[in-house]
Amino acid sequence: MELIFLIVLLAVFLAIGLPIAFALGAASLATFILLDIPVLVAFQRMAAGMNVFALMAIPFFVFAGELMARTGIAERLVRVAEAAVGRTRGGLGQVDIGASMMFGAVSGSAVASVSAMGSTLMPMMKDKGYDADYAVNVTITAAILGILIPPSHNMIIYATASPVSVSIGELFLAGIIPGLLAGAALMFVAWRVAVKRDYPRGEFPGWPNLARALIVAFPGLTTALIIVFGITLGVFTPTESSAIAVIYTIVVGVTVYRSLGFNRFIEATVSAVKTTAMVMLIIGTASMFGWLFALLEGPSILASGLTAFSENPVVVMLLILVILLILGSFMDMAPLIIITTPIFLPIAMEVGVDPVHLGIIMLINLGIGLVTPPVGSVLFVGCAVGKAKPEQVIKTIWPFYMALILVLLLVTFVPAFSLWLPGRLA
Amino acid sequence: MNSLSRWFSLAALWLSACGLVGMTLIIGWQVFARYVLGAAPSWTEQGALFLMLWFILFAAAAGIREGFHIRVSIFRDSVGDSVAKFLSLLSHFIVLIFGVFMVIGSTQLVIATWQHTIPTLGLPRGSAYIPIAGAGLLIAFFSIEHLVSEITGKKIKPLWS
Repeated sequence: MELIFLIVLLAVFLAIGLPIAFALGAASLATFILLDIPVLVAFQRMAAGMNVFALMAIPFFVFAGELMARTGIAERLVRVAEAAVGRTRGGLGQVDIGASMMFGAVSGSAVASVSAMGSTLMPMMKDKGYDADYAVNVTITAAILGILIPPSHNMIIYATASPVSVSIGELFLAGIIPGLLAGAALMFVAWRVAVKRDYPRGEFPGWPNLARALIVAFPGLTTALIIVFGITLGVFTPTESSAIAVIYTIVVGVTVYRSLGFNRFIEATVSAVKTTAMVMLIIGTASMFGWLFALLEGPSILASGLTAFSENPVVVMLLILVILLILGSFMDMAPLIIITTPIFLPIAMEVGVDPVHLGIIMLINLGIGLVTPPVGSVLFVGCAVGKAKPEQVIKTIWPFYMALILVLLLVTFVPAFSLWLPGRLA
Repeated sequence: MNSLSRWFSLAALWLSACGLVGMTLIIGWQVFARYVLGAAPSWTEQGALFLMLWFILFAAAAGIREGFHIRVSIFRDSVGDSVAKFLSLLSHFIVLIFGVFMVIGSTQLVIATWQHTIPTLGLPRGSAYIPIAGAGLLIAFFSIEHLVSEITGKKIKPLWS
């Protein structure tokens, strides 16, 4: 009864347009009062949810990404991708995906990727006669790759939310192959659509220019190496490596690229603070909600409902995918990771899915939710940057969705895609 | 009221920005101390986390005034103006109530835990809950400003537009 009250209230609060963090908090608080639990417990849960060492990596990764976007690294990555894949039919679409993959390797935030890639590439694409809807389709679906390609602060949220211990280093490694796979699938679809619409071909600038572009972009790309190797080799903790990434980016921005002045630094800092505040408040109130949900036995009710439906591992996993896709289209990634991980992880482990593997499945799944209406932050940012109407974008995005769903299924049912690399290097 | 709230919001965001830079320096120092000086200080990690909890909540409060928290707007966008206005008033009111409860709940927490100490920092455990109360106050204040602005029709000037 109280469980239904909690969920219905959350749905109502979300529908009337309360900020997500406050919808979670207010619905939980009302249920705390209904259950006669002292409100101090609610805020203790909120503080406990945020008071986690690993979460410090979030502000750092976001900060590094914001700094990165202002040092001109995005343009440099675009030049590398242009030299490498620009010559195919609809080359700029390929460039967009390639550059997003590289940007994902230095930033890890899908929204940062859309704004960085979109503002650099969309004007170029429109100049060359590409349609706005295509530019947005490619950019927003490619932005999801940043969630899979390390570093990714959503992986840290997953590791924190997991009831069993999950190594952030292993998660980082596990995301690489699925990220590349999804990138390849998107490149194929982008190419097919480009051929159909007869988009122009770019020119190959020659090997020396490709090498030059790589050298110029190298100091920026090094951030990714510092983070991934720092963590997997145990040189730094995830938090430390993310802080080092910030310091390194500032040093590179000031001394190598010479584009990071005081004003841009302040702009990046304030922007990082806003994003972090939004995400951390959601983490806090989602922990409040998650605690209540567990207290009211929500996870076990859902779990028994799922397993009553079928005990076949394939069916159970398919159900989880569908539920996450539906939830993901209504809600943002961070609260869903916090709320659903403790629910789905025990069920998934029951049918033999590794926690690291489930993490990657969830990230792709919820990542797709970021580009689907009615609530898709990446979709809407992409439309705003590309000056395209969401209705129009959605009409032609289907092939891209299909590619991502296919990758999701492959990654779900072929564990080796996620688990092979961490297994080799751990 | 508008200039006061503007000042509060700006101060909250500036403090948070300084907090983020401070955190970066603390963790940077931790790595430097471990690899170069040979010993990592024991307070750095807990200290940076403490700093984060303090600054992030104030920035989150400023987010109420500046309206940067993500929300689902599809339903409100699809109804008529008068219903949308009512929903907007209602949601500001709910945020106001939540802010008030943040103050009450966390003040109780501060009192209940003041005697305990955070080991590596030597600070009372309760000090970690003070920012929730502070942020709650700001959130309530900014919601009232939004409510007044909805009723009087006087727009709130965001810090950056």
